[in-house]
Amino acid sequence: MPRSDRILRFIAFYLSVLIFFITLPILLSYSLGYKIDYRNFKIYKTGIIYLSSHPSGASVYVNGRLYKDFTPAQIEELKPGSYKIEVKREGFYPWEGELAVRPNMVTKADRIELFPVTREMKRLSDREISDFAVSDRGYVYYFTKSGLFRTGMDKSPPRKISSFSNWPDRITGKKFSPDSGKLLYFNENAVTLVNLNPDKFMAKVGEGASVEEIFKSPDPIMDVFWYPGLNYIVVVTEKDIKAVELRGGATRNIASLYKFAAKPQSLFYDENSDSLYFTDIKIEPGLMNRERYLYRLDLRQTFLDSLRELLLKKETVTENEKR
Amino acid sequence: MKRDRFYKRLFEIIPGLLTWSTLITLCVLAFVKPVWTAIFVITFDLYWVIRISYLTTLLVVAHRRLEKEKKIDWLKKCESLGHIDGLEYGNVYHAVIFPAYKEGLDILTASVMALEHANYPKDKIIVVLSVEERAGPEACENAQILRQKYGDTFFQFIVTRHPDNIPGEARVKGANATWGARVLKDFLDSKYVDYEHVVISCFDADTCVEKDYFGCLAYHYITNPSRTQSSYQPIPVYNNNVWHARSVARILELSSSFMQMIETMRLEKFVTFSSHSMSFRTLVDVDYWPVDMISDDSVIYWKCFLYFNGGYTVIPMYITVSMDVATGKTILETIAKQYKQKRRWAWGVENFAYLMLGYMKDNKIPLRKKIRRAFHILERHYTWAVWAIIITFIAPLPLIFGGGLFRQTAIGYNLPSVSAVLFNVSLFTIFTCIFISMKLLPPRPKDVKPEKRLVMIAQWFVSPLVAALLGSTPAVDAQTRLMLGKYMHFYVTEKTRKKAK
Repeated sequence: MPRSDRILRFIAFYLSVLIFFITLPILLSYSLGYKIDYRNFKIYKTGIIYLSSHPSGASVYVNGRLYKDFTPAQIEELKPGSYKIEVKREGFYPWEGELAVRPNMVTKADRIELFPVTREMKRLSDREISDFAVSDRGYVYYFTKSGLFRTGMDKSPPRKISSFSNWPDRITGKKFSPDSGKLLYFNENAVTLVNLNPDKFMAKVGEGASVEEIFKSPDPIMDVFWYPGLNYIVVVTEKDIKAVELRGGATRNIASLYKFAAKPQSLFYDENSDSLYFTDIKIEPGLMNRERYLYRLDLRQTFLDSLRELLLKKETVTENEKR
Repeated sequence: MKRDRFYKRLFEIIPGLLTWSTLITLCVLAFVKPVWTAIFVITFDLYWVIRISYLTTLLVVAHRRLEKEKKIDWLKKCESLGHIDGLEYGNVYHAVIFPAYKEGLDILTASVMALEHANYPKDKIIVVLSVEERAGPEACENAQILRQKYGDTFFQFIVTRHPDNIPGEARVKGANATWGARVLKDFLDSKYVDYEHVVISCFDADTCVEKDYFGCLAYHYITNPSRTQSSYQPIPVYNNNVWHARSVARILELSSSFMQMIETMRLEKFVTFSSHSMSFRTLVDVDYWPVDMISDDSVIYWKCFLYFNGGYTVIPMYITVSMDVATGKTILETIAKQYKQKRRWAWGVENFAYLMLGYMKDNKIPLRKKIRRAFHILERHYTWAVWAIIITFIAPLPLIFGGGLFRQTAIGYNLPSVSAVLFNVSLFTIFTCIFISMKLLPPRPKDVKPEKRLVMIAQWFVSPLVAALLGSTPAVDAQTRLMLGKYMHFYVTEKTRKKAK
């Protein structure tokens, strides 16, 4: 091997060894969270604070002193102890907190939410409204005395989709169908359906929605739920639970699924299992009289059975009438 | 005998045991003491980055020397030498042995044609084509075709058939090469040629020499004062089918070429590999290549090393011999071929047991030298088996299994970023590899589009993936088999070349 190559190899080898032994303690002490004080020949343990904010790019103050980096920031070589941390960004409310730094450990303040001082606000309706509903599809529907309007969240201009204006004074609840194509609203006495995807005829005459009262109740309505399939709704009054068919107009099928012994105190409809949970008093063997219990009504089974019973009854009546 | 068997098994177990102990200990520590593992991983990453930087420096120096020596007219230098220690240019014979198995006529013809194109006087070249009998009649027919075609070109073109199942022999390349060398000995005896005047080159069947090869070899042989106590190692490149091979195979073969170039700069560790040359005198004295070991190319070095009581060296020759890239029709076939080939190379770990048993019978080699050389073998195979697994699979374990508490520690938090920085630092070596690989490329065949050059560059960016997949696993496989006493059979890498249009 030529002398020059030998010298080169010698230098490369010992330089590599030197670099390894110089770099290793620095790299390990940095990784482990140690700081070497070269002036006083001391090694001490430090900790790290990690901050991230939404939005990012906020200034960080450590004990009142501005830190060099913006969020997300990793503040290293902090001696163990408590630090007052402030995260500030122009136009946002500042965040501040007291964070404890432990030796060789990382203290994380992840995803600090910075709220804007002034939020963007826009008036959506250009007239007085009775009520409104927001669908999952990004539409806002508002009820006015001159009709039903729809506007998008993308600042599109409002569009009148129905001239119906006979809104009740007090609406107790509103429920969009799972496909957001229909809207139910109800008060104590009646349930009304707003069909947001009207048939071709309605669309031709310029109506983008149709409004129809589908159920009137003599007993106060407590809640209304969509039944899967979108052709039925479940209406809970203070006296009973009813299934109401949406199709059929005047000859709508209504099935009474359950009669309460007493007005239920609370209700919950589980969409996943199509079950209605409610409280009721019931006299059953082994139960204390007049005390409330929790019940679950499986609507899938009960409803279909009831409906079948109802239809059979109807057919018998019709045949008798024919005779 | 029983004692020998015990020590042989002991030395066969040591490398695998070391490798598995390291890997298992690190895996267990990643669960139990993730901080310790993280410290080890960072230390190892740093060591690896510095090591490959150092090796890349050596690669650059070796390549510079290769480029420089390419320009030398070796024959002219030989002619100007005169008479040195009983040898001169005019009386040096070159014998080339091709131990062949089922290699096709196209492969063998190319290798013999390269000898024909060499600028060394053909009447000083003897070709021995030793064909395995078990390869069938077609292999022998191919050999006869070649003898008919090239019989008059060289001083002698010997075709011999190596019988199968000779007692004491295993089905290994060394047995075939030894058979060929014995036939050559008979021929040289019949011609009264002094063995010291013959330099024997044992080539793989696909080895194609450069035209200056024999001149370069003769020069080094004549000028070497300890010519019989040296092997002569060219730089193996895999250029024969490099343009048609798959990227995975190219990266691996180029890496082994680079490794050989690097080794030429570390003479104290340099061992013969693949196609190499040596004095026929020495070969006869040490009783030829081993006939029952797979890694005949390196074992012959250790055999000579023990025979000469440690006074044996390998002289690097900055001239290339070209071989085939082991490639397949599909990517999976290529990976499988490469895996088997690398596992066979990694089986060279058997040298450790061979050397240690040799040491037990020797009392002339200085202890320091013994320890140093044994350590080199062990360190080389150990590093080969663990590096890619540590970097790829063990490094993330503390983060995965260390739990939330570990991730809250400074080292748990810093480990990914520190590893990433070190990995990025090591990327500069890829650019060096790209540059040198492009310089080593042979001219582009006509049926290959010019855009292929871009693939030749881009392929290097998947090298970390290839390294993760095939960097260490064949070595672990080989060491495990040796450790368990499940001895490997010689896997002949199938050589197929795409015919040029």
